[in-house]
Amino acid sequence: MGDLIKEALSIGWPLLALLAGLFVYSLVSIKDRVAKKRAMFKLFIGMIAACMLMVAVAHYKGSFYEANRTLPASLVLITAMCFMMGIYFPNQAAMLRIGGFMFLVAAGLSGYGNWLPQVEGGFPPAEVKLDFASMSAQQLADEGEKIIFGGVGKNKEQGAIGKGQCPLCHAFHAGMLGERAPNLLGIPERAIKERLEDPKYSKGKPQAREYEQKESFPGAGTAETAQEYIAESHSCPSCYVVVGYGVKGTNDKSSPMPPIHKPPISLSLPELAAVDTWLWVQADRPKQQEDKPAGEASALLADGTETVDQIFTKAQCIMCHTIPGIPGALGKQGPLLEEGTNAPNRIKDPAYKGGAHSTPEYIMESVVSPSTYVVKGFPDNLMPKVFGQKLSAGALKKIVDYLSQVKAGSPPPKIS
Amino acid sequence: MGRVAGKKLFSIMALCAMISLLLLPLAVSLPSLAIGADAPDAVKKEGEAKVEKGRDVYYKTEGIVVGAPAPKTVDGPKDYPRYNFESRVLLWFANQQHLYYGSFVLAVPIFCMVIEFMGMVTKDKAMAKRYDQLAYDFIKISLTAYSITAILGGILIFTFLTLYPAFFGYLSSIFRPVMHIYALMFVAESGTIYIYYYGWDKMKEGFLKWIHLSMSVVLNVIGTLLMFLANSWIGFMMSPAGVDEQGRFLGNIWHVIHTALWNPLNVHRILGNMAFGGGVVAAYAAYKFLASKTDEDRAHYDWMGYIAMALGVAFLIPLPFAGYWLMREVYAYRQQMGITLMGGLLAWLFIIQATMIGILFLSTNYYLWQALGRMRGAEKYQRYIKYLVFVLCIGFLVFITPHTIVMTPAELKAMGGQQHPVLGNYGVMSAKNGGINVIITTTILSFVWYMRGNKVSTVSWSKFGNIFMGIFFGCAYVNIIWLAIYGYYIPANVRVGLSVPQVATTLSCLFFMFALNGLMMKGAKQMGAIEWGKISVRSQYALIMLATAFTWMMGLMGYIRSSVRLFWHVNEIMRDNSPWAYTHTVGFAANMISFNVLFFWFSILFVFWLGSLGVKKAPVEAKAGVPGGAPQPVEGH
Repeated sequence: MGDLIKEALSIGWPLLALLAGLFVYSLVSIKDRVAKKRAMFKLFIGMIAACMLMVAVAHYKGSFYEANRTLPASLVLITAMCFMMGIYFPNQAAMLRIGGFMFLVAAGLSGYGNWLPQVEGGFPPAEVKLDFASMSAQQLADEGEKIIFGGVGKNKEQGAIGKGQCPLCHAFHAGMLGERAPNLLGIPERAIKERLEDPKYSKGKPQAREYEQKESFPGAGTAETAQEYIAESHSCPSCYVVVGYGVKGTNDKSSPMPPIHKPPISLSLPELAAVDTWLWVQADRPKQQEDKPAGEASALLADGTETVDQIFTKAQCIMCHTIPGIPGALGKQGPLLEEGTNAPNRIKDPAYKGGAHSTPEYIMESVVSPSTYVVKGFPDNLMPKVFGQKLSAGALKKIVDYLSQVKAGSPPPKIS
Repeated sequence: MGRVAGKKLFSIMALCAMISLLLLPLAVSLPSLAIGADAPDAVKKEGEAKVEKGRDVYYKTEGIVVGAPAPKTVDGPKDYPRYNFESRVLLWFANQQHLYYGSFVLAVPIFCMVIEFMGMVTKDKAMAKRYDQLAYDFIKISLTAYSITAILGGILIFTFLTLYPAFFGYLSSIFRPVMHIYALMFVAESGTIYIYYYGWDKMKEGFLKWIHLSMSVVLNVIGTLLMFLANSWIGFMMSPAGVDEQGRFLGNIWHVIHTALWNPLNVHRILGNMAFGGGVVAAYAAYKFLASKTDEDRAHYDWMGYIAMALGVAFLIPLPFAGYWLMREVYAYRQQMGITLMGGLLAWLFIIQATMIGILFLSTNYYLWQALGRMRGAEKYQRYIKYLVFVLCIGFLVFITPHTIVMTPAELKAMGGQQHPVLGNYGVMSAKNGGINVIITTTILSFVWYMRGNKVSTVSWSKFGNIFMGIFFGCAYVNIIWLAIYGYYIPANVRVGLSVPQVATTLSCLFFMFALNGLMMKGAKQMGAIEWGKISVRSQYALIMLATAFTWMMGLMGYIRSSVRLFWHVNEIMRDNSPWAYTHTVGFAANMISFNVLFFWFSILFVFWLGSLGVKKAPVEAKAGVPGGAPQPVEGH
């Protein structure tokens, strides 16, 4: 508040000086007592109004660049000032009231805009040079997932979107209906069985196609394999349009999808290859999981090489828990994880029947056996009991180490 | 007789001068419009070995490359010189102020044309004078605003040149073939408006008056063409055409102008300007009403406010439909662009927009209900207003309910899915269409009540007419709501088509019910006069609310339209590499819009004050027709 007043004075001192000068002038020059009293009273009101105005301007100036929910208070202050002035200066009353009302309307609308969730569009993604050629299939698939969804492990998050912008229109999981574009789950298999065999696809005869475009580029021909089909779909979406997904009025002859290798998305060829790899890996994943014994490294959610925030994200702890210091961990389904403070109290709780004697032991027990002790006000059996199998020992240790250091009222520990 | 003939000759010469001014830019431009006229001679020469061809990014036609590629800018003083402030915000401010004034000075002459025409066809001499005086007052206000528009235009160009030289240089190179036409149109607009204004007293009777009215038509044609040319710049920035993938001009300037979004932008802006102009004039009238010292002045400005509001709302009603058309074209042009607008990064701004539309219609209805209070005999409608309030509120709440928006995982979890389990049902486009159509239909009903407020129909079929009207409105509501519900049972792509019968229903109410009401009220018995000036003070605040909200919405929609390009100066052609190539938060945008709105209103109040300085010099004889202490009944509304 002190800073605000200081700022207000630094902005408005000339105005206040002017009013003070007028005050002195009125005191000296007006002889009639009644007129002098009236003039001085009006100047006094004017000075109060000027102070309100300056505080409002200083507040507005100070928080202009922030999404500040108190910012419209400045406009309300000016509204009050205008109406107050309107009472004492009847000649300008109409103007002041109208001005005040406009400020009030603007305050309401500004307040509404600041009250809504604040979404800021980030900078365009920086160009990062990656050596795709030396990547393994899994690494390539991970890069593909980042391009599609914005991060590894984000493919099941609703609203997750990456540089490729694919989820704006496509769905990628069973049961999800893509109203704007087909669901891409199992596309490698479908490409062979359905798309390439569709008479409309005209495999081997591009000129026979009824679509807006015949080939991706002159001489490209048509795709013969699923890989080629997917690659063709990126660069030439209108070479074949799935029934019902064409541009309205074109009888499914033209696709609304932009060529992905051109602006605005402009994925490079290696990036497109990474996206395709993820589609293949995703299609094979259920099969791989059936084939491999439980507990194998590939089935782990995190193997301990990641940083602790990545582990929390991969294990989806952030969906249900608020974890200080972990970006995006704002869940409310589970308790706030300030375990450095909570764990000692829980162990002392008469209702606690577990075997932990220290904070790290309690945290480990809570992760691998969540029903041992259920915090009051939260339901049992909500938290999965599989983290003992799904997280490596290294990953569990990182979680325990981090949460042990999180204490109420203290700054969160450093992420490592 | 000789004097009259001289005046006639002068008027015809003035009209011819205006038409010449109008045709001048076209005549000058014709040679350069020929395809390839801008190509360097070296390129045009036949037999020249190297003629590079490019493919139009939108029209897909081939053309000879005659321009340089779009510059690849880098963050630095060469491409992005700056002051110690965010350049984008400075440009935003300069642009918005220019647009506000530009819209106002383009809209007001259209009002003048309409009002002058109404004055000419009205048989009541007193009314004719009042309309004429009103049109004259309007043009007088716009004349001061016109100078400010030109100054702001200059400031805008300087801002562009100073802060974004590479970008402005590129746009200028693309539009070079029509830049001089743009400048000449300005000259034509200025010349025409001055002839129109200063010829007012000289051409106020008979044939001369018709010539004067024709001048307003010419003036508006020039103004509209000017706006279309300005729109082509923003159309090109959003949906470029006439250039190849590198941004090189291919010689066909018509392709550059006639981009995918140019037509809907033009229609949307004409309607928007008119509604905005109506709002500004209504606010002016409200200000004068509140400041009036005499009943006579109050009566005049009450009437002026009503006319301005009615004209503004007449263009506000079709505005949402033009908006739907624009969005449809956006989706057709680039689906991602549409999704970014309606379901992505900018979706919350559309929630604000829906709220604003609701506020505009609620304010209009509130004003009309207040206006019923100055009519004897309108009491019979007052008791039904509460039902209209209920219907409007329900329509409003459905209309502003969001459906698909970007959320954080935590928000998704908290809500239990992408949509709210209950409210999500009301957010789909089908229901939203139902909501807004119910709001507009209710506004039409309020207008119908207002128009028959102090009258009793005397036609023999009045009972049948009333029953028919009641059934028509009832069926319209049932049809709109039924289609909104039916939309849930059909796929999304089919559901979109339901907006057509919904809009058709609303427009049927607008045209048929207004026409029927007009027929029924022909020769109607007056229950009492409209007591101009006896309207509540609250109603004037409704007018100010209408004007402020419209100004705010214009700022909001301009921001949305501009920011949908994200990090592109010219979509997919020229990238924005400045430090401000990100999209601001909703809160910041709201603060900035409020700042722009308040600045505009303070400056326009200054313009009003300047206008009032010249009142004493203006011809006052027409004021004889203004209703005085004993307000006169008005036949037409």
